[in-house]
Amino acid sequence: MSYRNILISLLLLNYHHAQSVFNAYGLGLSRSAYHTATSGVGSIGLVPTFHPGVSLDNSATWPGLKFTYISGSYNNRSVGLENSNNITYGNGLDKMQFVIPIMDRYAVGFSLKLVNNHNSYFKTDSSSFDFQGKNLITNKEFRSGGGLLAGSFGFSFPMNEKMGLGFSVDRLFGSSRDEHSLVLNAIHYRLFNIRTYSGTVMNINFAGNFYNDNNLIVLGFARISMTGKPVSGTLYQFDLFEDRNDNYTFDTDDYPATVNVDTIEVSDIYAPNSFSFGINAGFRNDLNMFGEFQIWNDEASSANYESIYMDQIGSKTHFGGGIVKFGDINARAWQDKLTFRLGTFKESYSLKYSGKTINENGIAMGIGFKFAVTGNQLDFSYRTGSRFINGGYKELVKEFQIGLSLGDAWFLRRRAKQ
Amino acid sequence: MNLFLLKNRIIGFCLIGLITFFSCEEAAIPVKDDGIPMKLDTISFPVIKAMSYQVPPEMGLTDLLYFGKKDGYNFSYNLIKLDSSSVTAGTPFSFYNDSLIIVDSLKFSLRFDSDSIENNAEFQLRYFPDGGDSVFNELESNYINFDKSIASTFISTGQLESDTTDTNQTKVFLNFLLDSSIVNAFKDTNITDFNRSFLVELKNEESESFIFHSTDKVGGDGPQLKVYYRQFVSDSVVLDTTYRTYGAIEDLSVIIPPPISSDDSSYLSVGMAMGLKSIVLVDMGDWTLDPKAIVSSAELIFNSAPNDTLQNFTVISYPIINEGDFLQFSLFDKDPYDEDLNYYTSTSIIDDKLKINHRKVTTEIGHQKYINYGFKLETSLYNDPFKTLLFYSLNSSDLFPVMRVIYVLP
Repeated sequence: MSYRNILISLLLLNYHHAQSVFNAYGLGLSRSAYHTATSGVGSIGLVPTFHPGVSLDNSATWPGLKFTYISGSYNNRSVGLENSNNITYGNGLDKMQFVIPIMDRYAVGFSLKLVNNHNSYFKTDSSSFDFQGKNLITNKEFRSGGGLLAGSFGFSFPMNEKMGLGFSVDRLFGSSRDEHSLVLNAIHYRLFNIRTYSGTVMNINFAGNFYNDNNLIVLGFARISMTGKPVSGTLYQFDLFEDRNDNYTFDTDDYPATVNVDTIEVSDIYAPNSFSFGINAGFRNDLNMFGEFQIWNDEASSANYESIYMDQIGSKTHFGGGIVKFGDINARAWQDKLTFRLGTFKESYSLKYSGKTINENGIAMGIGFKFAVTGNQLDFSYRTGSRFINGGYKELVKEFQIGLSLGDAWFLRRRAKQ
Repeated sequence: MNLFLLKNRIIGFCLIGLITFFSCEEAAIPVKDDGIPMKLDTISFPVIKAMSYQVPPEMGLTDLLYFGKKDGYNFSYNLIKLDSSSVTAGTPFSFYNDSLIIVDSLKFSLRFDSDSIENNAEFQLRYFPDGGDSVFNELESNYINFDKSIASTFISTGQLESDTTDTNQTKVFLNFLLDSSIVNAFKDTNITDFNRSFLVELKNEESESFIFHSTDKVGGDGPQLKVYYRQFVSDSVVLDTTYRTYGAIEDLSVIIPPPISSDDSSYLSVGMAMGLKSIVLVDMGDWTLDPKAIVSSAELIFNSAPNDTLQNFTVISYPIINEGDFLQFSLFDKDPYDEDLNYYTSTSIIDDKLKINHRKVTTEIGHQKYINYGFKLETSLYNDPFKTLLFYSLNSSDLFPVMRVIYVLP
């Protein structure tokens, strides 16, 4: 087994994303960025962050790659509640990607990425009361995990010399589970829900060079994402049981003697649609400034799919901007091979039924290092910010991400022999 | 190895190290109990009807067999039925129909519960040659429905004898030596399954009690019959005398209880030897339990009567499946209230409180799948059968019975 395979296996084994209270709303929070280079500026992946003119999260820009890349992004994240010592940590793979540029004009790519994070674990404080002489001590605990993954295929082609389009199809799939439990005098009363998901999303990406002179290049980007087939799923709803031996599973020691499972087929539970727009100004000294905007809606018609909180994310807006200074692989000094990234963003999620808003603000910074003749790149990013709901919880989020992109020469134009 | 590969391996190992370093920690986030599912709820139901009643004592499953008198109880006689085949060898009584088998004698023994003899009373034994295949049922026979006159005249008398065979322990047995002809009835081929039953009684009325091991006593020596016989191998050759042992499979003390006291009828009372049982009706009205809810406990709570220390006593309870008569204390020849054994519960009395958890049947009642006719209370086999347990009834102002239900809703 090659070192790449070993590395990939270890990354997959360590899949465990940090939890958040907000992941218990519907399918949880949807991700805006996948690749480490994108995260390093708080971007949504439209504008170039990986390589001059290229974002690995924007298929329209892929022809700008000089090599074929296999790339993986892995994150470590901590989430803590404000005014509390409670901090949780998690790590996991955000994205695996394989992109092949063809003749500087076309490109195809495959990726596997995490779309929604459903991981949460929270509990209420214990309360005690007297019921006709019997003391009852009770609290609640909730856990959820899993989420939506997307297997994506994309390709890109030029519209003219200054514009390109990219199409991609995300096949959404995955499963999640959650456990609700009420603890009464140290006895857990549990129920489980298991869900499966299936659906598709289509993405059209646009990239264009709007202005170019010796000192300034202005690039524009846009993305329209539409639901191809709304996510449908099967909900396996287990009856409540008394977990007498506290082993988290129903067995013969538990009460009652049998537990029924309702199998419910639900359609149209998640139908994301979005429009995104970005602009990037590149200066003579390889410094780039960008701004991005996204509006995202879940158009699903089905009611809440039995998440822990009986509400779900209905819409989201994103504003972000930052600067990127790309490194030069041909530079002699190693410092000049470094790519620096810095950005800030603001996201607002609206809950579908209560109308409440979850706000997230953050800053991001990143660094990339190119090495070897095939343009290998090692990226690091760090994002920090806060996430809060009106009149509710405020989480402090810190995320450290590592991306490794290994390049190779496939389908590239060869220089003619002299 | 080229430089490219070396660099990539170093990076790979660094990444693995980082992954190991950033291991996961999972701790619950504290949240408010607001807008999240799962709910604990409680409800209290009153007991609106309660009454005790008396039936003939049901002593068939007690550990001991009783003779004589004690505390007003009259232990009239005991009925004992033997197994159809012998212990270990499995020899049936039909074995003795063989002309080459000569039964020499029989000995019927009961193990005395004490290892000393203070009053060596005389006992007598009868059997049921005309009783057909069955003469009694240890779970149903009692002093009212059993006709003692169907037994034979006495066929043997016996007294207590010490057995010192075991040097570590002296055992006392009541032995009856029987004529070998008795076995002729047991081996009768005209009756497919002869009753193989004996009636044992005191020869003379005694003022004290005599207690023996029942076949239900774990580790005890239940009643047994030994058949001594010889077997001819040929006309002139006979083997030495040997024996087969037949243990009891049913035994029953038929007792007549003393008259009930005012406490027995004014409190809720249960007692085996007195034949006392109680029924209560809990008013659950139109209560409906959510189909997805689970009942944590549905305790039917009783308080012990004053001056009645009942630590470690156990009461069994079931729902009854027909309507109860709660008007007045009654005496029945046969228990009129059939119970639903699917919902049997056994509960110990702790701190003078009896809390019977009837959550299974309460769940069914809450789901409208079961008709609530009430619950029956009986004493457990493990209690002293002569102890009557008394609990406050509805006439108590503060210690009246009640049902307390705690349930969890998803």
